[in-house]
Amino acid sequence: MTRRYQFGFFALGWLLLIGIVVQRGFDGAFGRSFAAVHDSIVGMEQSLSDREATARQRVQPHSRRDDVAHLYPSFTAATLRNPPRMLWGAYDGGLPESFAGVSAFEQRVGQPFAIVSIYQAWGDRPDEADFPLRAVATIDRLGSVPMITWEPWVKDFDRPNLPKDREYASLAAIARGDYDFYIAHWATAAARYGKPVYLRFAHEMNDPYRYPWGPQNGNRPDDFIAAWKHVHLVFDKMSATNVLWVWSPHISMPWFEYYYPGDQWVDWIGTGVLNYGDVAPWSRWWTFHQILEKAYPALTKLRKPIMITEFGSVTSGGDAARWYEQAFHDVRDKYGAVRAIVFFNQAHDATLSATPLNWSPLQEARAARAVAEGMAR
Amino acid sequence: MWSDDELFQHRRAAPLTTTSRVILGVLIFFGLQSVVLFAWWWFRAEHVSNALLFVLLSAAVWYGVFRIVVGWYNVFHIAQPPPARAPGGLRVAVFITSSPGEPYEMFVRTLAAARAIEYPHTTYLLDDTRDPRFAELARDMGAVHLELVGFPGAKAGKINAALARTSEDFILVLDPDHIPFPNFFEPVLGHFDDERVGFVQVAQAYYNQPRSFVARAAAEQTYAFYGPILQGMHGTGTAVAIGANCTFRRRALESIGGHGVGLAEDLVTAIRLHAAGWTSVYVPEIVARGLVPEDLGSFVKQQLKWARGVFDVLFNEYPRAFRRLTAHQRLSYLMIGTYYLVGLTTPVYLLIPAVYLWTGVQPAAMFLSEYLRHALPVGLFGCILYLYAQRWLCDPPRERGWHWRGMLLKVGCWSVYLHGLVLALLGVAVPYIPTAKSRQRGNFWRMAAVPLIVIFGSVATLAAVLYRRLIVMPEAEVRITTEVAAGMIGFLMTNVAFMGGRLYAAWKDRAR
Repeated sequence: MTRRYQFGFFALGWLLLIGIVVQRGFDGAFGRSFAAVHDSIVGMEQSLSDREATARQRVQPHSRRDDVAHLYPSFTAATLRNPPRMLWGAYDGGLPESFAGVSAFEQRVGQPFAIVSIYQAWGDRPDEADFPLRAVATIDRLGSVPMITWEPWVKDFDRPNLPKDREYASLAAIARGDYDFYIAHWATAAARYGKPVYLRFAHEMNDPYRYPWGPQNGNRPDDFIAAWKHVHLVFDKMSATNVLWVWSPHISMPWFEYYYPGDQWVDWIGTGVLNYGDVAPWSRWWTFHQILEKAYPALTKLRKPIMITEFGSVTSGGDAARWYEQAFHDVRDKYGAVRAIVFFNQAHDATLSATPLNWSPLQEARAARAVAEGMAR
Repeated sequence: MWSDDELFQHRRAAPLTTTSRVILGVLIFFGLQSVVLFAWWWFRAEHVSNALLFVLLSAAVWYGVFRIVVGWYNVFHIAQPPPARAPGGLRVAVFITSSPGEPYEMFVRTLAAARAIEYPHTTYLLDDTRDPRFAELARDMGAVHLELVGFPGAKAGKINAALARTSEDFILVLDPDHIPFPNFFEPVLGHFDDERVGFVQVAQAYYNQPRSFVARAAAEQTYAFYGPILQGMHGTGTAVAIGANCTFRRRALESIGGHGVGLAEDLVTAIRLHAAGWTSVYVPEIVARGLVPEDLGSFVKQQLKWARGVFDVLFNEYPRAFRRLTAHQRLSYLMIGTYYLVGLTTPVYLLIPAVYLWTGVQPAAMFLSEYLRHALPVGLFGCILYLYAQRWLCDPPRERGWHWRGMLLKVGCWSVYLHGLVLALLGVAVPYIPTAKSRQRGNFWRMAAVPLIVIFGSVATLAAVLYRRLIVMPEAEVRITTEVAAGMIGFLMTNVAFMGGRLYAAWKDRAR
C-alpha cells in the first residue's frame, strides 16, 4: 500500500511537469487557432449584423447612416484631416456595451454625431487585448467615425518577461520596442479594419498628477516623442495608414509644447476643455474661453486642426446653460482652429473624486436646449 | 438488429491493462488541468453581469462539471474482481416476482430460463396475481409457487415474506423480464467465499433495444453505467445493487432487517448493507438480458419512480447511514442521490436565453471566443475520456457510440425529474407500478406537452425578438447587440433541439 502511494506521488510529479508543458504548448497552438476562431466569429457576427440591418431597412427604410451623410460630406481621410465644417462628436458612459446614451443624446439635440469616442486601455484582459473591432465597426456602420483614446496602462499586462516596476519610464520602454508584441497585433487589426479611425494615444502625457505615463514616473518629453514615433512607425509598417493621429496634451499643465512629436507625426491637436466648477479645491467656475485662451496661441502655431476631445461642464458653481452658450459663441468668434468638439457625456465620472461627477449636458433642460441650439447653428 | 445468438451469449468486459490505466491517468490529468483553467477563467468579477443569473448559471454549469470530474475520479479506480469459480454445494434460491397485469408469456420464458440455470438451485415464483395459470406454470417449470397476496411494499414486501418461508443462504432476485443464461451463477457465487461480501451484482443488458427509439435511448443511458462506471465503483468499494440480477447473502439481508422497501428499494438495500459493514462485488459480465421500456409513457413512469425513489434515499437513508459509510461510499451515494438534479439545471438553461431575449438582462459578460477557448478543452477531454472508457463496456460491439439518444431523452425529461424532486420534498407517494413490458400507446398532446411548451415558448420568443429588433429597438442598439443576441438565440435553439428527442418519441408512440 505505501509503495503504491509512493509511486503515485512520483507519477503525479512527472504528470504535473508534463501537464504544464503540454498546456503551455496548447496555449501556444490553441492561442493561434483561437485567434483565428475569434476573428472568424467576429467576422461572422459582422456579416450577420449587416444582414440584420438589411432586413431592418426593408421594414424601416430610415437609417442613422443617412442622417449623418445628410449633415456631413463623405468621410474620407482628406475630409477628416481637414473638415469643411465643424465635426460634432460624443463619448457616452454606456459605450461600448450600449449605444442608448448616444442615441438619447442625439435625439435631444436633433442631429447625429460625426465622431463617437471610446476609450481602451492596454493590457491582456479580453476587453484590452485586441483592437476593439466590434465597437469600431458598429460606429462605422451607424455612419460615424470612431475615436479611440488609447491608454498605455502597461501594468495590465500579465507576462513574466516584463519587469514588476514597469510603470516607471514606460514610455522609454515603449520606444525601445518592449511592447511591440501588443502594438503590432493591435495595428494589424486596425489596418485590417481599414476605415478612418482617430487614435488618441497616451493623452495628457504632460500632467504629473494623472496617468502613469506622466512625467512623475520618469517619463521625459523626449521619451514621449520617441514612444509616439515608434508607435506610429509600427502602425506604418503594418500599413495601418487609416489611423488619424490626435496628439492630446493637458493644456492647463506647463510645457506641453515640448511633447509635440512634429508635423509629420500628427494629424490633429486634441485637448479637453472641462469646467470643474466648484467641485474641487483647486477649481473654480471657468468659462471655455478662460480655459483655452492661454494655450491657444501655442496650439495654433502648430497649424493643425484642433479637436476639443472632452468637452463639458459640471452644474455645480454656475450656470451650465450659459457656459455652453458662451462656449459656442467663443468658438465661432475667437477659436477658428477648433474643427471638432466631442461632448463628454459621462454622468458618473469617478476617476477624480469620491462622489462621481456628472458631465452630461442633458442633466439640465436649459443646458440641453443650449447645446441643441449651439449645434444647430 | 442483432440475432438472438449474438445477444444471448455470455460477455465480459475487457480486462484492465497497465497501459490503459496509465493512458487513463494521463487523460484525466489533462482533463483536470483544463477544468482548473476553465474555473480560473470563469470566476472573474468582470464576467458578472447580473449577479443572481450568474449564480444560477454557475451553479448549473459547475454542477455538471463537478459530476464529470467525479466521474473521471471514479473511472480512474476501475477494477474487476478476480475470476472466482463457483464452489459446489451452496444452497441457492432464485426469486422471481409476479404482479397483476404482467403478461403470462413473459413468465413462461423467464421460468424456463431459470430452470435451465446449471448451478443447482431452487426457483420460487413470488406471486400475487391470484391467477391460477401462474401456479400451474410454476409447477410445470419446476419452480416453487409462493402465493403472497397483500404484503405492503410491493416487490420488496414479497421478497421479505419469501425470505421468511425459505432457508437458502444465497438469493438471486431476478426481474421477471430478465432471461438468465445457463451459466448465470458461474461468475457470481465464488465471490461469497469472502465472508464480508453481502451481495454480488452482475451487469444488466437488454434484448429489446432495437425495437424503438425510446428503447434505444433508455438502453444507451445504461451502457456506461454497467461498463466503466460500476467497475470504477467496484474499485472504490461502492458498487450498488440494481434491483434485478443481484445475488444477496441471506445473513446480510437479515442483518439489516430484510430487503429495503421503497421506490428505489435496491438502493435502500445497498446503502443499508454498506452501512452495516458488508462489502459488494460488481461482476462486469452479461449473464442475463432483459427489457427496457419501449414507449415514452412507460419510460417516463419508470424515470419518475426512480427519481422520486433516489431523492428519497438522499433525504432519508443517506443522512442516517452517513456516519457508518466509508469516504468513497459517502461521495458515491451523494452522486447517485443528486443524479436527477438535472431536473433543476435544465430549467436554468431554458431560463437564461428567455430572460435575455425578453428583458435584455444577461448573467455573464463573456466573449464567445473566450468562452470556447476555455470550455472546449474541458469538453474535448470529456469526450475523449467518455470514448476511451468505452473499452470497458460489457458488450462493446453493440454498446459503443455517442449515446446521443439517451442524452436527448435525459435532458428532454427534465420535467419528470423535477416532478420527482418536488414529490420527494413534499413527501407525496408515487404508487409502485411495475414497468410495462410491452409497447404502450398514449395521447400525443399529453405526452408531448412539456417539449411542446418549451418549443412554442421558444418560437414565440424568437418572433418577439425579431419584432423588437426589426421594428422597436433603435438601430444603434440592434447593431451593438448582434453578438449577444445571436448567441442567446443559438442557446435557445439548442434547447429546442434538446426537446426534440422527447417530442419525436411522443410522436412515435401516439395513439392512432
